[in-house]
Amino acid sequence: MTLRRSAGVADSSADSTALTSFSLPGLAGNDREAMDRVAAAVADLELPPDRVDRLKTAVSEAAMNAIEYGSHGRADVPFDVDVVVTPTDVIVRVTDRALSGPVPTDPETPDLERKLAGDQKPRGWGLFLIEHMVDAIDVSADEAAGTQTVTLRIAREEKRHD
Amino acid sequence: MTDRSFGAEVVGRPDGVRLQMRGDLDSRADETLRDAYREVATSGSPGLTLDFGEVGYINSTGIALVVRLLADARRDGRGVRAVGLTRHYQEIFRITRLSDFMDIVEGDAA
Repeated sequence: MTLRRSAGVADSSADSTALTSFSLPGLAGNDREAMDRVAAAVADLELPPDRVDRLKTAVSEAAMNAIEYGSHGRADVPFDVDVVVTPTDVIVRVTDRALSGPVPTDPETPDLERKLAGDQKPRGWGLFLIEHMVDAIDVSADEAAGTQTVTLRIAREEKRHD
Repeated sequence: MTDRSFGAEVVGRPDGVRLQMRGDLDSRADETLRDAYREVATSGSPGLTLDFGEVGYINSTGIALVVRLLADARRDGRGVRAVGLTRHYQEIFRITRLSDFMDIVEGDAA
């Protein structure tokens, strides 16, 4: 699992194919809309069902962060989703308008026992879930454009460990 | 268009109360789930079954709502189990360790 902040993701991707690209208003509930659209875009790839489920959850969580922190839940502040596929990976980029500034890449690790005891707020699972769902996550900022992009990468097949 | 709005119904059964949920479990489920647990609490039942059989989507805010409900149930001395979770959401309950604090019943077992 790789989580890193970069100045930008250079997908050299001569061998990549764009599957879909869309924008949605930064409104609660559009996390699911983004998830469903990405799932439809990768449907023909015949990914293993468990990988599709993992990708869907990662996309919805990235979109929810974009809505809450990038758009502040405002319909007039959209977020963008791009999906490309390479021979080995599916790559999803979620770009928001960064109204809250950079996404913290080292948030407090959720601890269920502490949450149940009231020592930690019940929320705070988003990045934790993404990290467990995909093979790599990268966060980059374009200060000139005032945007931030979370890039998710998941292998099209489970890697074998022989 | 599919109605994905969240709903919850408290149903009394011989083995305790069952909270039958439907729709998307996300931030918009907050009040409905809070009210549903209040109804469970007034029942006095020592056990609670969370039925996710008609829940198609759970995001991290939905997980947080389950955490809050579980905390309330533990405070009240009420055991909790979950039925109807898909394999994917069973995995998420395992990753978040919710499965350490509630029984996860596979399939739609009563």
